[in-house]
Amino acid sequence: MSEAHLTVGAHTAPPMEARPFAIPSKKFAMWLFIMSDVMTFAACIAVYSFTRNSTPDWPRPFHGLTNVAVMTLIMLTSSLTMLFAMKSAKLEDKAGAFRWLMLTALGGVIFTVLHVRDWMGMINQGAGLLQNPWGPPAFGASFFVITGFSLLHISVGTLAVIIVALRYKGGRYNADDVEIISIFWQFVGLVWLFIVPVVYLMNLAP
Amino acid sequence: MTTAQGQSTGKYLIVYVCLLAITALQFFLGYQHIAGSQLVVRFFTFAVIESLLVVLFWMNLGSEKPGFIKFIVYFMLFVLVCMNYIWTDSFRLLLFRLTGMGPS
Repeated sequence: MSEAHLTVGAHTAPPMEARPFAIPSKKFAMWLFIMSDVMTFAACIAVYSFTRNSTPDWPRPFHGLTNVAVMTLIMLTSSLTMLFAMKSAKLEDKAGAFRWLMLTALGGVIFTVLHVRDWMGMINQGAGLLQNPWGPPAFGASFFVITGFSLLHISVGTLAVIIVALRYKGGRYNADDVEIISIFWQFVGLVWLFIVPVVYLMNLAP
Repeated sequence: MTTAQGQSTGKYLIVYVCLLAITALQFFLGYQHIAGSQLVVRFFTFAVIESLLVVLFWMNLGSEKPGFIKFIVYFMLFVLVCMNYIWTDSFRLLLFRLTGMGPS
């Protein structure tokens, strides 16, 4: 009989498999999720770019980008406040971490409101998933899918930040959980930095 | 606050300022009436720089183990590069729509 069988026979806990890359499992899972999400966002951006490139009369409905600039500033600032939350959590400053997390969530809420306002402006002009008053209907479909997917991530992420903040304050979550939500939040901010030039700024090109 | 913790705050702030500056530059370039093909290259370059800053310093991938970094980078780059097979068909479609004829 092998040594392994003898150990199990003696009611000892089975040996645990080593963690992949020696990093915490939750963090590894978040990175795997982000890797898969990168594929989805990359596919959305590729489809938008493909359609835009192959359509000669692609519409350019964005005349002023002040709203988008403000949204970008808020997204970047909320990414920074999230980092301060993670740092406070690692220093075991619970009140500070909670405060920074809630500030991050506030940034997410403001971003979501501004994004919905941007959408409403377009919808009121007649744009939709299957229609576009400025030309090819593919514009509406690709625009609302790519920005909607980002908006979904940010609004759900905001909810997740609030839940993590409350559970961290209540003692159910620790600094590692704050770090994991921080990685996700940085990722959604990074995606926005790709969406702005592809969707909005290229709209200004002659 | 220890020196290392103070350094991380400084690092976060420097990256934040860099990201703001690059984004502002992108907006500035957007209003400069540069040809679309040139603008795409510039925006893509800036977006890659921004993503490197965020992934390495804000998502702290730079401080992970080398094996994990290789795992992430190799898989991501492979898929993202493979995704670019679409462009030939995109230009073929554009040519077809502009001239009414596809390539023979």
